[in-house]
Amino acid sequence: MKSDFMRIACALALVAVPLAGAEAKPIAYAHGTTVMAEYGAGTMSELQLFYAPSYRYSLGGGHLALDSDLDDDTRDITYLRFNYLPKRWNLESAQANVFVWGSVGRAQVSETGDDDFAWNVGGQLDYETRRVYASLRTDLHESSAFSHRIDTLQLGIAPYEHEYDRLALWFVVQARETTGGLTDDTEFAALLRLFKGNAWVEAGLTQDGKLQAMVMFNF
Amino acid sequence: MKISRRLLLIAGLGLAVTANATTIEMTVNGLVCGFCAQGIEKTLRKDPATEDVVVSLEHRLAAVATKPGTDIADKALESALEASGYDIKAIVRTDRSLPAIRAELQAKP
Repeated sequence: MKSDFMRIACALALVAVPLAGAEAKPIAYAHGTTVMAEYGAGTMSELQLFYAPSYRYSLGGGHLALDSDLDDDTRDITYLRFNYLPKRWNLESAQANVFVWGSVGRAQVSETGDDDFAWNVGGQLDYETRRVYASLRTDLHESSAFSHRIDTLQLGIAPYEHEYDRLALWFVVQARETTGGLTDDTEFAALLRLFKGNAWVEAGLTQDGKLQAMVMFNF
Repeated sequence: MKISRRLLLIAGLGLAVTANATTIEMTVNGLVCGFCAQGIEKTLRKDPATEDVVVSLEHRLAAVATKPGTDIADKALESALEASGYDIKAIVRTDRSLPAIRAELQAKP
């Protein structure tokens, strides 16, 4: 299963990279505050709030709820997170970024009923132009009771090159794989993404017809 | 009569302000999304000499109109954009007003 996901991810990345790419970033801009909420097909729900003193890093916290598709196991993780941008490439008509982050928090674990210490590390590589984008994100969530990795690949294409003050429209395909008994198969979703000004909204369906949605505001 | 004289005076002052104002046009690399533009606009508006800002993704342009009799040094602009995470490739000072730039951008998006 893992090798299937990686094969698909690599194939999609190979198709996307020559075109170019973009994605929701944990640091929007210096002195900016980001609020983000995601609903991931019934398996994950996340709410995040970050403040970026610099374009290089942001601090904040969030809540992540993981619900297994396979049984009744749930994890409710509340965390404090540090996001860091170690590398950015500003090209003439494109931008690429490497983000990394780490968090610590508490997790409510359904199987034991315990409130455990939990930690997370993750990273994201993205590349975007005004017409296409690609991003690969990985998140590892750990506690004494669980270990979950969530890998997400997104590829997007914009039907037109948007201008700053106009509505941006993106068609996005997403592939997501989780480990540790959350899902048993790679989940694919087709999404419509809109953003204008400081607001970003995306919504779509997975191959099982489940809702995948995200909203983000920067101010 | 009094009113029209006052209007003429206000219009005259407005023209004088426009004539004295400088527009700084910067070509910026990595300017590809609305959030990028938003961050750059916020940064440039913080400078006390800034009167108005226009950002265009299409033209990789960040333009600042400075207040009459003021300027922003190239070094300060470079530092501000660098602190926002972007690279300036060129800086030119022009006598194009920001409304004229806006109109031009609207005409050929």
